[in-house]
Amino acid sequence: MTLGLLGQYVMNGVMLGMMYALVAVGFTLFFGVLDIIQFSHGDVLAFGAFVALAVWAALVKLGLVSPAIQLVLVVVVSALATAAVGALVARFVVLPLKGAPSLNVLLVTLMMGTVLREAIRLFYPGGSQPQRFPALLPTTGYDLGGFNLRLDNLILLAAGALLIAGTHLFITRTRLGLAIRAVAQDEETARTMGIDFRAVVLFTFGLGSALAAFAGAMDGLYYNEVYFGMGLLLGVIGFAAAIIGGLGNLYGAVIGGFLFAALQTIGAVALPFASAYKDVFAFAVVIALMAVRPTGLIGERASERV
Amino acid sequence: MNRWRGAAVAAALAVACAVYAWAFLRAESQQALAILVLVAVAAGAVATRTRVFDKVPPVPERLAQAFALVAVAGLCLALREDDFSLLLVARVLIVVLACLGLHIQLGHAGILNFAGASFFGVGGYTAAVLTRSTGLPHLLVLVAGGAMAVLIGTLIVVPVLRTRGHYAALITIAFALLFRTFLEVNDSLGGPQGLKLREIRIGPWRFNDPVELGPFAGSFYLNYLALLLVLLAIFWIVIQRLERSWIGIDLDAVRLDETAAATFGIEIARWKILAFTLGNFLAGVAGAVSAHMVGFIAPNNYSFGESLVLVSILLLGGVGNPWGVALASAIVVILPEKLQVLQEYRFLLYAGMVVLILIFRPVGLLPRRMRRLASSP
Amino acid sequence: MRSMFAALCTVLGLASSAGAKDTVRIAFVGPLTGGNSAIGLGGRNSADLAVKLRNQDGKAKYQYDLVVLDDECKPDAGVQVATKAGSDRTIVAGVTHYCSVVAMATVDTYHRFGLPVVVWGAVLPDITYANDFKEVHRVNGTMINQNETNAKFVTERGYKRVAVIHDTTDYGKGHDKYFTQFLTKDGGKVLIDLGVTADQQDFTAELTQIKAQNPEVLYFGGLTPIGVRIRAQMDKLGLNAQFDGTSGIVNDDFIKALGPLAEGVLAFREGAPAEKLPHGKKFLEDYGKQGYTNPPEAYGPFAYAAAQLIMDAIEKVGPDRKKIAAELRKTKDVDTIVGKVTFDDHGQNTVPVITKYVVQDGKWVLWEDSEYASGKRKLRGK
Repeated sequence: MTLGLLGQYVMNGVMLGMMYALVAVGFTLFFGVLDIIQFSHGDVLAFGAFVALAVWAALVKLGLVSPAIQLVLVVVVSALATAAVGALVARFVVLPLKGAPSLNVLLVTLMMGTVLREAIRLFYPGGSQPQRFPALLPTTGYDLGGFNLRLDNLILLAAGALLIAGTHLFITRTRLGLAIRAVAQDEETARTMGIDFRAVVLFTFGLGSALAAFAGAMDGLYYNEVYFGMGLLLGVIGFAAAIIGGLGNLYGAVIGGFLFAALQTIGAVALPFASAYKDVFAFAVVIALMAVRPTGLIGERASERV
Repeated sequence: MNRWRGAAVAAALAVACAVYAWAFLRAESQQALAILVLVAVAAGAVATRTRVFDKVPPVPERLAQAFALVAVAGLCLALREDDFSLLLVARVLIVVLACLGLHIQLGHAGILNFAGASFFGVGGYTAAVLTRSTGLPHLLVLVAGGAMAVLIGTLIVVPVLRTRGHYAALITIAFALLFRTFLEVNDSLGGPQGLKLREIRIGPWRFNDPVELGPFAGSFYLNYLALLLVLLAIFWIVIQRLERSWIGIDLDAVRLDETAAATFGIEIARWKILAFTLGNFLAGVAGAVSAHMVGFIAPNNYSFGESLVLVSILLLGGVGNPWGVALASAIVVILPEKLQVLQEYRFLLYAGMVVLILIFRPVGLLPRRMRRLASSP
Repeated sequence: MRSMFAALCTVLGLASSAGAKDTVRIAFVGPLTGGNSAIGLGGRNSADLAVKLRNQDGKAKYQYDLVVLDDECKPDAGVQVATKAGSDRTIVAGVTHYCSVVAMATVDTYHRFGLPVVVWGAVLPDITYANDFKEVHRVNGTMINQNETNAKFVTERGYKRVAVIHDTTDYGKGHDKYFTQFLTKDGGKVLIDLGVTADQQDFTAELTQIKAQNPEVLYFGGLTPIGVRIRAQMDKLGLNAQFDGTSGIVNDDFIKALGPLAEGVLAFREGAPAEKLPHGKKFLEDYGKQGYTNPPEAYGPFAYAAAQLIMDAIEKVGPDRKKIAAELRKTKDVDTIVGKVTFDDHGQNTVPVITKYVVQDGKWVLWEDSEYASGKRKLRGK
């Protein structure tokens, strides 16, 4: 195992970790605000990626070929559209079920995810096949002795880190962020303080979905491919990562994401069949972890009403 | 006199359902099928609105089960030459068996098992491995399929016990994904190519041979159907007994409020383990029978998506009511096969229907009757 | 009253309307959705063309109806539709499968129901040779010849160090086995041999290992969906080997998905391209007239030929499964659009021609006609 090879594995792991972290942050946001698990988050990510692809195709038709402009427009439009979809799901599917047993909300969002996934497969032209996602970032690579460092990967990493930091700052430093944290802590009191509960929920869903859209675009840019099922595994991994880090804790979610990626990378390197068993290994560890610490490594900041 | 009235209504209902099923399975044109669907929907709407079934005196469970059994057997005999229709009926029965297992876990103990298809798969793969490498009698193989499912279930029972709600959901979801990936990369279990199985053989009775009893001739699927009806009858009675016993009441208490149940001295862990184990056993046995009948299994049959379909059936039918499970299974299995236009959209439709049901009618199609602890005539 | 009843029966589909000829139903099974759908749809259109042309022929004794079934290139879905076709007594024969994984899984099902089938695109030898079923035939060739030509070509070009990546289905493993066998015979060396799952997303682990070995050629034994991913991720990791594939990637979707990255990719398949077939020009003309959205792709002509052979058999012996199977087995030197077809004792046809392809400017071009052959462009590492 040369240093260059090791470096390559580390790089791959870091990229995966960043994507999982972005998804996990979304889960944590939704849970913090509404005490629910938005199981369709992964499929919202896939939706965002496909919207990005569609926007790009439209831009090409319109004649705009500069990659920089394409990139900005694609990301912005996709984020807005996905935020809208997220808010709609919140308004018509999640909020009406507010009083219902938490199992119902879990199931409803899980099924919504399936609806989104199948909708992409059936209604996007050629949706059942993997679609090529354009390479909009500069692809120059620097060969550091057996280890290929690419500019686009670095940009993606930086963008992801900025997004997470930005979200954290938003939540902690702005008035709207304050409202979100108030609702997360105690919904009734927040309402008596004059905070519009509904608006906060819709906004949070929009924000989380926009983050998912970014993650989807990142995924597309990294693999140069999107396909309708890409959200399912990412969603489950993001959820697992959020749980490991402790639901409701933003930085816990980030740690959880990188931890899961580390597990997968270790599995890929250490186990005999290259990457075949890495998912089995990673999930098995997660299950074992849950047996030992049922509410995650850092623990959920919540109490239960008896 | 009331009892006879109730029995008569139940018998009439059973016959009506059997005739409807026969017509639905035999219909060829899409228009005919569309008409039949509308008839069913209209009948259901009328029945709900007029609450006609509330006015009927309650029928003893045994009698209802007997009627249902006879109706299904009659349906199979009427369809005896039609391979494809019998195959559909057999698939429905298998799904009902597996979902009854999940129903025990969810409806009685509140454990939502997102890995139902995985335990189904354990049964299938156990059957495949045992019949390929050993000479074990096939009935024992079916039992072994269930036992293996129970064994594999113990791997995750500790985390399932210690967690609740969404945490428990994550465990079964992670297990479902893990299981399929494991099957796909593991060459000793056939890998992505899957495994082929022989037919079931009990003594001289070979299940893949067409039935020929004197003048009576029928498709070989009748053999599997006979086995499935026997299995269903046994397990349905087991479930019904369970529900009426102290065990059932304990399980209900655990499901409704774990903390309260604990304060009453009910051992949560024991009953949850029992429910989980029994449910997995059923799923395993169903998987073993299915594997033999189709003759082929592959990792893709047992994906997370398939588990979601099983969960959808539970929710559509009405959690806690085995008749609801049967109805929903029939709808989910048969409808897309006959209505070609639905075939491609079926996952979208199942998921969409579940969303609508959860928002507008969370109790499902056939909600569970409230438990009457006092004895009733 | 009687006519009303008859009309009612017709509406309910319980009785067939009176017609001049009896309708005979033939099944077509292929991957109509998923990553290989381009080939599946091409095959379906070609079989459909054959049926349509036969129905237009006044001399035909029967009216033919093509029942189209989607196997999604997954063995479980394949067995399900095979069971459906087999248990439906009105279907008398089938034109089946492009994906070898599916074809391997379904042979037992067809045998159980006695449904005669002619395979049109699956290349795994075991499909016909690992069993003695009278029902199974195949009109296209097996992967043995294409890998033999592939290995010879690679060594003749001066490549010696080859890395192999293949999918873990019997299809990928078959390619691996035969290619490695022929390559080592021709003097090449397989540096590393890795298996990946057929729906794998991330190949960085495998490609990183391969890169460490510094191969000249990367041989890929698998289908388009992961072929696309491997080629794209190769580029991301800076692995500059020559990409060498099999019949599994010869379709337009492969090029469409990769864009400029597809340039210079090699592939081999059995059978001549449609234009060079004995009746190829007429086939393409007729195909064009029908206005299908998808082109026939590499295996369309085989599907057409399979449908033709089946319908010829039905015309001779009538719509009886057993008789059709026996009649098909007797096929010897029958002229079809892919040339003369003879089924050996295992129902296998021999296709002598192997076509070499290279991607040039976004198209699959015959090697002999390409600028790579003439020397104007160079393959990787040369």
